[in-house]
Amino acid sequence: MTSWRLPNGGRIERAKSVGFTFDGKVYRGHQGDTLASALLASGITLFGRSFKYHRPRGVLAAGSDEPNALVTIISGDVREPNVRATELEIYDGLIVQSQNRFPSLEHDLMAVNQLAGPLLSAGFYYKTFMGPAIGPLKSTRFWMFCEKFIRRAAGLGKAGTVADPDRYERMNAFCDVLVVGSGPAGLIAAEAAAATGARVIVAEERPVAGGSLLASGETFDGRNPAVWAREKVDALASLPNVRFLTRTSVWGYYDGNILTAVEHVSDHKPNRTRGQPRQRHWVIRTGKTILATGAFERPIVFPGNDCPGVMLADAVRRFAVEYGVGAGKNVTFFTNNDSAYDAARALSMAGVNISAIIDVRSDVSGTCNDIANVIGAELLLGSAVTGTHAGKTLSSITVQHFNAETGRISGAPREIKTDCLGVSGGWSPAIHLASQAGGKPEWDEDLQAFLAPEANQNWVVTGSAAGYMDTVSVLSDAATKGSANSRLILPTIEASMLDSSPAPIFEIEPAGKSQKAFVDFQHDVTASDIRLAYREGFHSVEHLKRYTTLGMATDQGKTSNVPGLAIMADIRGISIPEAGTTRFRAPFTPVSMGVIAGERYGDLRPHRLTPMHDWHIANGAKTYEAGLWHRPMIYGSPGETIEQAYTREARAVRESVGIVDVSTLGKIDIQGPDAAEFLDRVYTNMFSTLPVGKARYGLMLREDGIVFDDGTTWRLTETQFLMTTTTANAGPVMQHLEYYLDCVWPDLRVHLTSVTDVWAGAAISGPKSRAVLETCVTGTKVDNTTLPFMGIVHGRIDDIPVMVCRLSFSGEIAYEVYTGAGYGTQLWEALIAAGKQFNIIPYGLEALGTLRIEKGHVTGAEIDGRTTAHDLHLDWMLSKKKAYVGSAMINRAGLKDEHRLSLVGLISLDNQSINGGSHIVSDKTPREPADSFGHVTAACYSPALGKYIGLALVKHGTSMIGKRAFATDLLRDKHGAVEIVSHHMFDKDGSRMHG
Amino acid sequence: MIIKCPYCGPRDVIEFTYQGDATRTRPNPASTDQDTWNAYVYDRSNPAKSHREFWLHGGGCRQHLVVTRDISTHIISSVVYARDYIHAGGK
Amino acid sequence: MADLQSPLGVTFIPGNHGNAAGGTGVTLQERKGISLVQVTAWNNTISTVLTAIGSATGVIIQNTPGSGRVAGEKSVFGFAPGRFMVVGATPDLEQRLRAAISTDLGTVIALTHGRTIFRISGEQVEWVLAKLFAIDFSEHAFPVGAGRATLHHDIHALIQRIDSQTFDIYVFRTFARSFWLTLGHAAEEVGYLVE
Repeated sequence: MTSWRLPNGGRIERAKSVGFTFDGKVYRGHQGDTLASALLASGITLFGRSFKYHRPRGVLAAGSDEPNALVTIISGDVREPNVRATELEIYDGLIVQSQNRFPSLEHDLMAVNQLAGPLLSAGFYYKTFMGPAIGPLKSTRFWMFCEKFIRRAAGLGKAGTVADPDRYERMNAFCDVLVVGSGPAGLIAAEAAAATGARVIVAEERPVAGGSLLASGETFDGRNPAVWAREKVDALASLPNVRFLTRTSVWGYYDGNILTAVEHVSDHKPNRTRGQPRQRHWVIRTGKTILATGAFERPIVFPGNDCPGVMLADAVRRFAVEYGVGAGKNVTFFTNNDSAYDAARALSMAGVNISAIIDVRSDVSGTCNDIANVIGAELLLGSAVTGTHAGKTLSSITVQHFNAETGRISGAPREIKTDCLGVSGGWSPAIHLASQAGGKPEWDEDLQAFLAPEANQNWVVTGSAAGYMDTVSVLSDAATKGSANSRLILPTIEASMLDSSPAPIFEIEPAGKSQKAFVDFQHDVTASDIRLAYREGFHSVEHLKRYTTLGMATDQGKTSNVPGLAIMADIRGISIPEAGTTRFRAPFTPVSMGVIAGERYGDLRPHRLTPMHDWHIANGAKTYEAGLWHRPMIYGSPGETIEQAYTREARAVRESVGIVDVSTLGKIDIQGPDAAEFLDRVYTNMFSTLPVGKARYGLMLREDGIVFDDGTTWRLTETQFLMTTTTANAGPVMQHLEYYLDCVWPDLRVHLTSVTDVWAGAAISGPKSRAVLETCVTGTKVDNTTLPFMGIVHGRIDDIPVMVCRLSFSGEIAYEVYTGAGYGTQLWEALIAAGKQFNIIPYGLEALGTLRIEKGHVTGAEIDGRTTAHDLHLDWMLSKKKAYVGSAMINRAGLKDEHRLSLVGLISLDNQSINGGSHIVSDKTPREPADSFGHVTAACYSPALGKYIGLALVKHGTSMIGKRAFATDLLRDKHGAVEIVSHHMFDKDGSRMHG
Repeated sequence: MIIKCPYCGPRDVIEFTYQGDATRTRPNPASTDQDTWNAYVYDRSNPAKSHREFWLHGGGCRQHLVVTRDISTHIISSVVYARDYIHAGGK
Repeated sequence: MADLQSPLGVTFIPGNHGNAAGGTGVTLQERKGISLVQVTAWNNTISTVLTAIGSATGVIIQNTPGSGRVAGEKSVFGFAPGRFMVVGATPDLEQRLRAAISTDLGTVIALTHGRTIFRISGEQVEWVLAKLFAIDFSEHAFPVGAGRATLHHDIHALIQRIDSQTFDIYVFRTFARSFWLTLGHAAEEVGYLVE
C-alpha cells in the first residue's frame, strides 16, 4: 500500500501546515487533517499492533468506528491511550505513540504470538487459568505467575500514572428537540423542528457538520452537497432557538429522555484559554430526540482481511474526498452491494487508479456495469477475495470464483496486484442509542441489518439510521420526523440509481487451511474462534460475546457485531434474527473518566465550615473531616503528640475551663400550634410538659425500636422549639421528621426549618465556666437560680445578642452559648478574652471525645443502628404514658434478649492504649479465630483517671462488670488485658455538673 | 429518570430520595399487635408493574411525594403531594 | 452592633479573574446588609399570608408555584408549597412580619445569619449557572422574579431571577465558601469580575 497526498481536493486547508510527532518522528500535515489522514498522506500505513497476536494493523475506517488505528497521546507525563487516529485532529506540537508494540512498531518481538495462535484462541484464559490446581500449568496460581507477561503482550494502550491535569466541566441543557447527527437527515430534521419555534440542539460528533454529504457524489439543487450542507448549518446555527454542537458525541440514552454527550472543546487545540475545559459533559434533557445517526459500513470476513491496506470502501472514499488522501495508488474493491461502486467512482474522479471491482454477486445492475466501464476497472462478478499477500502492507489479493447461493469457492486462484482493497459488506444503521433506550432491534431482510426497536420514549429514528439508503427518501423522512406538518421545500437531488441492499454474504470461508479471517479486529476475534465457541457449547449470542469477547472492545463491535452474529447463525442453521443480538450499552464511544467527574476535581465534596473556622486555623487547630464538616481535632503546641494535646485540653476542662466550637450540631426550628404534640410523638420522652425557657435531653427511635438519635430540645416559646441533633445525623433527622409530618400525620400544624447554619455555638465547660460568663454576659444573671441545669437565658456578650443554655456533655458545669452565625467569631473571641484570667483554652474533638468517654455518654459509635435504649442504659427515657415512634416494637423478644450487647466501660490493665474496633475475648493470648463477645466503640487516655480507658458493647454487659477480659485487634497486632467496668467511669453521681 | 414535582416541575432523580413503599398504612399507634407492626415495618411489595412510592424532594421543595411508577419500565404515571394522598385516604 | 462577618474570608478577592482576555462574562457579588425571613403558611392560609406579606413589605406576589417579585432591594418568592423567602434591607423586617402573621396564619423564622446570598449577573449568566444546576435557566422557563429550589451536588440552593441577566443564589452559610469557589471556577471560562 502506497498511500499519498492527492494533488487537490478535500476540505483540509492546504495553505496551513501542521507539525506533529508519531513514534518519535516528526511529520507534517494540514489544518483539518486527522492523524490518520495526515499519516496516510505521509505514506504511513502501519498504525499499530493487534491485541493478542501483535499483527500489523492499519486504518480500517475513517471515523468513530475505527477498531485498529488506536494511539496514545503523550503530553508531558500524561498519557491518553486508545484514541482513534481517525478522529484525532492534528495540531502543532501533538505527540502520539503507537500501541501494543515492543520494542517498536516496525520490529515487534511479540509478533511470535502469531505462531502461538491456537493457544490464544477463544476461551484461552478460562481454560488455562481457572479451576482446580491439577498441575503447574493450570489454575489461578498459574495465572498469577503469567499475568505480568500476558499483560504486556496482550492489550491496548497503557494508561498513565500521573494525575490528569486537565479541566473538565458539566453542562446541563434543556431543549424541545435534540437531533443526534448532522448528515442530510439530521440537518433537514433540525430545520423542520426549528421552524416550529422549538428549542433545538444538534449534536455532531465530527468537527464539521454534514455527515455523508461531505463525501457525497450527488448534487443538491445542482450544487456540491458539502456546500449545501455548510450553508444549511450556518443558517441553522444563526437561529436563536438552535444550538449547534460539533465535536460532540452523544454517548448515552437514559430514562426520562436524558441523553449524555461529550464535547471535545479543546482537544484539537495546542493551547487552551484560561478556564477552558478540555472536554464538556453535556447532560441534555429533551422533549423529543431525533436519532439521525447514520449507518456504519461493515467489512466482509475473509482470509487475511486484517492487513494494512484492507479498508472499508467508504473510508477509502472519505480519505480521498474529505482529506485529499489516496489510500493507495492501485485500488481494488470487494463488495456485496452497490455502494462500493459509488466509492470507486469518487476515487477515480479524485485521480486514483481503480484496477478491479470484485463482487460476490453474479449479476449487477446496468449502473454498476457503467461505472466499472467508465472508471476502467475490471469487473469480477461471482467472485470473492480468498486471501491477501502482505508484508507490513498489502501487495496483492487472491481472487476465486464464488457462488453466492452455496457459499462455495471454486476455480483457480488468481492473484491481483493492489496496494489497497476497499471492502463493503453492506450497512448497519447506527441504532446504538435507540438500543440503549430499550427494546429489541428488528431485523430487516432487505438491508440485512438490524433496525431500531419501537420507541419506548419520545424518540424517532430517521435517515440511514432508520434504514433509508437513498437520499430522496432520507430527506422526506427527516422533514416529517422533524415536524409532522413540515412545509420545508426539499432540494432536488441528482444521484445514481444504486442499491445499498447487500447480498446476504458475510463471510468467505475457503475449504481447507487458510489465513486467519478476522471478525472483531480490536479484540482479535476470528471466524474460527466463533466456530470454536459453538463447538464448545457457547451458542447464544450472550455466551458467544463473553466467551470470545466479540464486540467487547472499546469500539463496542461497531464493525464486528453483525458479521459475528451472521457466522454464528450460519453454523447453527438458523436466521440472524433467530440468533438475536445483544443490547448496546453506554457509552457509544469511549468517554474519559475526567469528563464524567466534571467540575468535581480534587475535592469530591464541599467543605462545610463553621463561622469560627478561620480562627481555629489561625490558632493552630489540626482539623479533620466529620462528614462534610472540617472540625478542630486538637489545638496542638509545637512538639506535642496528639495524645499529649488532647490530654492537656481535657485536663484543663476538668480543672478550670475550656471552650469548644459546637456550631456543627444539627439544629431544627420546630414551630406551630402542634409542635409539642409532634415532639411527644417522635421522642421517647415527654416534651409537652417542658416549660418555656427550658431544655430537655431527648431520645428518638426508628420505627423498628432501634435508637436513631439523641440531643437536647429547647422550648423557646409555647409554639416554638429548637431541636439539636448529633452533627452526623442532622440531615437524616430532618428527613425523618419531614416524613412523619408529610406521610403519617399531615394534620399536625408544624413547620420545620433547618437552622444549623443560623447559629454559631460555643460550649464552655469546666468549674470556672460560670465565672467566665459572669464576667462577660450582660442583660441577665447566670447564677444557679436564674440559670439552673437545663435552663435557658437571653442576654448580650460584647453587645451581641446571645442565648445561653446550661447543658453538659463533658460532665462538668457547662453552657452552650449561641449567637447569629455572622457574629460567631466575635462571640468566640469575647469568650476567650473573658476566660483569659481563668486560663481558658480551646479544645478539639479529641478532648471532647475523651470527656464524654470518661462520662460514658453515647454518640454515633454506640448509636450504630443496632442498639436499643436498653442496650445503652437509656431505658429510663422511654415513656410509658404515650405511644411514640418505635414504642410498638421495643418489646419484641429479640430486643429484650439477655444475650444482647450492652454498654460497658473498659480500663486497660497493662497501661497500654486500647484500639477502637478491638474485639473483646477471653483468650489470654491472641488466637485466630477467637470467640468475640463484644467490641470496643471508643477509646482514649483519660487524664481524670490516669489510665487508658474505653467504651465497649459487650454480651451480658452489666453482669460482666468487674470481670477481666482482653481487647484484641489482630489487624493492628494488639492484644491487652482490660477490666470491664460501669460505663460511668468518672463522677458517677453527676455532682460536678450540678454544682 | 425525571420526576415531575407538582411544585418544582420536572427534575432529575438525583434531587430526590426514595422513602419507601407508599401502599402501607401505619397501624394505630396504640396497637401492640406484633403481626400488624411487623408487616408494616418489614414487609414491602415489589411488583414488576405500577407501584406507589414515597419520594422526598430533598434537593428542591423538600416535600414528600407519592410517585406512581412502573418499576419494570420506570415510566411514571402520576406524582402528587404525600399530604394530599394521605388526606384522600391513601388513594 | 458590628456588621455580620462574611463567610468567604480570604477567598473574597475583588477584581478580574479567569479568562479576562475574553471580557467579563459575569460579575459576582455577595449581597450584604440584607435581612432574610422565611414565612410559611398553613395549607389553608396561603393567600391570607401573601396578603400579610404584602402589607408588611409592599411586595405582593401570586399564589402559584415559584412565583415572586423583585422591587429594588426588596424581594419575595415562593420555593415550596406555602413557603416564601422575604428579603429586604430593613432590619425590622422580621418584627413586621411577625406582627402581621400570627401562629394561626403561619410561622416566621429569620434566616439572615444562616443563608448567604450571591448575586451573579452578566451576559454569560445562564451559561455559567447551567454548569452547576440541572434546571432550565432560559427566561421563558424561569421568568424574572421567580424562585427555584434546587441542588448543586451536596449544596442546596434557592435561586431567584432578578432580571434577564441577573440571579440571586441563596446557599446555607456553612457551605458558602465552598460554593463561592465553585462559582468562581465555573465562571473562569468566560472571565469574571468580583465586586
